[in-house]
Amino acid sequence: MSGPGRDRWFRLLLSLFPPGFRRRRGPEMERLYRDMYEARTGGRDRPGLGFWLALTWDAGRGALGEWMALGGSVLRAWTGGGEAWAAVGTDVRFAVRQAWRQPLHSFLIVLLMAVGIAGNAAVFRVFNGLFLRPLPFDQAHELVDLDETAPQWNLEYVGVSIMDFRDWQRENETLQGMAAYSTGGANLARDGRGERVDYLAVTHTMDDVLGLDALHGRFFTEEEDSPDAPPVALLSPAFWEQSFGSDPGVVGRDVSMDGRSVQVIGVLPHKARFLGEADLWLPLREDDRSSYYLSVIGRLRPGVSVEQARADLTAVHEARAEVRSENEVTSPTVQSLRERYLGEHRVGGGLLLSAVAVVLLIACGNIAGLMFARSIARRREMRVRAALGAGRGRLVRQLLTESAVLALAGASAGTILGLWSSERLVRVVAERAPAWVTFDLDAHVLLFMVGATAGAALLFGLLPALRTSRVDAAGMGGPRSTSPSGVRRAISALVTAEVALAVALLVVSGLTVLDLFRLHAVAPGYRTEGVITYRLELPDERYPEREDRRAFMESYLDRLEAIAGVDEAALASTLPLSGHSGWFFEVEGSEIPPMDNAVVLRRWVTPSYGDALDVRLVRGRWIEQSDNREGQPPVAVVNEAFVRTHVPEGTEPVGVRIRTGGEDAPWSTIVGVAADVRHYGVDREMRPGTYEPLRWNPQPFIQVALTTSGEPAPVLSAARSVTQATDPELPLFDVRTMRERLDETLSARRATTWLIVTFSAVALLLAMAGIYGMISYSVSQRTREISIRMAMGARMAGVMREVVGRGMGLVGLGAVVGLALARVGAGVVSSLLVGVRPDTPSVYAVVTALVLGVAVLANYLPARRASRLDPMETLRGE
Amino acid sequence: MIATPLNPRYFQILLALSKEALHGYGIQRAVLEQTDEGMHLWPATLYRSLAALEEGGLIEQSETPVGEPEDERRQYYVLTSEGRRRLKTEAELMARWVAEARAGGS
Repeated sequence: MSGPGRDRWFRLLLSLFPPGFRRRRGPEMERLYRDMYEARTGGRDRPGLGFWLALTWDAGRGALGEWMALGGSVLRAWTGGGEAWAAVGTDVRFAVRQAWRQPLHSFLIVLLMAVGIAGNAAVFRVFNGLFLRPLPFDQAHELVDLDETAPQWNLEYVGVSIMDFRDWQRENETLQGMAAYSTGGANLARDGRGERVDYLAVTHTMDDVLGLDALHGRFFTEEEDSPDAPPVALLSPAFWEQSFGSDPGVVGRDVSMDGRSVQVIGVLPHKARFLGEADLWLPLREDDRSSYYLSVIGRLRPGVSVEQARADLTAVHEARAEVRSENEVTSPTVQSLRERYLGEHRVGGGLLLSAVAVVLLIACGNIAGLMFARSIARRREMRVRAALGAGRGRLVRQLLTESAVLALAGASAGTILGLWSSERLVRVVAERAPAWVTFDLDAHVLLFMVGATAGAALLFGLLPALRTSRVDAAGMGGPRSTSPSGVRRAISALVTAEVALAVALLVVSGLTVLDLFRLHAVAPGYRTEGVITYRLELPDERYPEREDRRAFMESYLDRLEAIAGVDEAALASTLPLSGHSGWFFEVEGSEIPPMDNAVVLRRWVTPSYGDALDVRLVRGRWIEQSDNREGQPPVAVVNEAFVRTHVPEGTEPVGVRIRTGGEDAPWSTIVGVAADVRHYGVDREMRPGTYEPLRWNPQPFIQVALTTSGEPAPVLSAARSVTQATDPELPLFDVRTMRERLDETLSARRATTWLIVTFSAVALLLAMAGIYGMISYSVSQRTREISIRMAMGARMAGVMREVVGRGMGLVGLGAVVGLALARVGAGVVSSLLVGVRPDTPSVYAVVTALVLGVAVLANYLPARRASRLDPMETLRGE
Repeated sequence: MIATPLNPRYFQILLALSKEALHGYGIQRAVLEQTDEGMHLWPATLYRSLAALEEGGLIEQSETPVGEPEDERRQYYVLTSEGRRRLKTEAELMARWVAEARAGGS
């Protein structure tokens, strides 16, 4: 553990304590921990594993003690102290003694419980952070995400245009406030070198809507939203610490951003991360651009529902359609923030939670089996107790206490194990989740763990307890060495249910694995190996005109191509997996107005782009150097999706003329058709798109792709020095290989898939252990019968066939039920699957074969033991 | 009411505080020293003991002693007069046991 991770661990340990103790002693304990940490390391090194283990052991034991003390006093208050409490104490002491007397039995139960609970603790912690924990704002339930949707443009969310934002703000009756923001990047000049910073541009209403107070200084004023106001900025706490050493004197100072001087007016509170990681906040300068790019947060008036707000905004929006024709295509969306940003992960999260629940259920099934088996051994004891006057209720209570003690021991071990192992999972998820999602432990997690443990204890304890306690004191003695058929039936039912659950989980995980493999096998349509990518932004101040940018690009591209090791170099406005730029195109001769067409991804690229990224050309030709010359007619290469959506069927696309931007815009001639590429990720469909010469539209934002057959590192460092030499204040940012970009698009899916696979493997293992245990048990109960049969001449093979056959019958029944369950489950999670149908037969077949194969083994081992019995030995022993 | 004889942890903490006001880390160090590194009070154990002793009226929180850096999370503790008395009776009890053990052992 290192860095902030280590402090997180201690805080996590602290959160195990009851809230009262944590409030009174927590800060001091943390102080002590830091003293110890620093004394051990001198602040440099990290202490060894022993330190962390001792710390964890101490905290775990202490927390348990505090909870027990708390529980004791609550119980005393309820029961009025005295006898009832003393009886519970007696039960607990007796239960602990019982557990000690059967160490293997108890160990197995604690182990099963720990395995079952650990997964639940880990996954629930993540699920809680994503879906249950309230947002860190006052009256957070009033906050909603506002956006616009345009199905006709093939876009779920288009962003809000500034004009709609103003209309909604002025005319709505359901919102207390609205605030808009957009993201951006700028080059910050410090000590003569450029540094890339990310900023958020926000309206001055943001502090009111979210309820933010500046850490230092003040927030933006209404006047500062105007384009002519002097430029000002707020710093994020992280950026303030890292770049200004947390100096409060920075307020009032000027920084140079994109060549302009900007005054720092304050420092943001930590909560401001909610909107996204940004180094600075700037005022959102409202211009009259009609394009859609704003993200908007609204605060509902008290008592107003999301539906009411949606109806209100829709009415406002539609009323404006007379003035703004776009309003007929777009319509406002209103939803809770969580739904908007995490809604798509809900199914995956639910699936993981179900998977761990299945593991816990199977573990409980096995534990119940163990308890049943044990109940046979304890029939005598129960009869004696009943004969001495213990009522059935008293016996059930005693037996349940025994389950509870074992459950608690297992659950404590499982919780610690689970929380420890979830650290990694949390890191993976936190990288991809919005910044406001945190995974600290809270009352939800605690309640869930207590609930799961209590539920499990009842589940595996109650039935065996009821069975075991059903004794007839008068009927002592009775026939020996036959197991009551009721117990055998109960265990059989458990095993069948376990197999069914394991099969269902295995099928669902098999589907997600197959899906992931297929996605990995999808050819993205562009080169992914040996491609280095990064971005540049040419600031307006030094590159005000197109000519300036064009000149930069030409000389820059030449220099890049000259780097030793670079095979191809290309510049583009948008590389694959790196963004979207939506435009509406009109086709010459077509009656369809452009705004009614699907939105088109427009990319401006250098002629080298096709070769560098290895994009396949379907017809015609690629953009050529000569297209770049002055006086040449504009040309475009379109993709296959564009041909499908825009070019009338049967028309030869090459030669068709298209344009965007209204009546006065020039027509471009289609000179080629390129294959569709997976621009948005291998799990996303491609939109219609164009490639046009970058020279015609040399934008300030450039993305660079360098291909190399050698090591990427030296090429990248050469590219850095080439950039330095061309313009020393120009930082490279977003530097990654194409392979990294592609892997990132699948990382969440990969993490989910492997977790589910792990859980289903555990489920299978537990279910098979259950079968093994059941068959062993029934064989051990039947040694006498088997021995007699063998003594009378039954064949070994016959005995084995009978034993295995009985076990396999149960497995078969479980598998059939499981397959049906799986089909239902697969339907529920089908939205997660991209390239696999939820009823893919091969997955069901492979899972069935796997389960049956493993089950044969689990049945065979005890059966073989039965067949090797020496009949005479056994019978003599009777 | 804290039971007699005192839990060895409680005794060591009272002994450490009988010399000067200490904060958590100070107590931990003093106890280590008193017991020849034999008793390491990890955070939860230490603060649970301090809570019990405070509740039993044997110790109390105090101001930061003059000359020590102020840190609101570094709480100092001192013995109450009850605590001092208790430490003394406890020590006398132990002295008696020690005497008896010596007499019996020789």
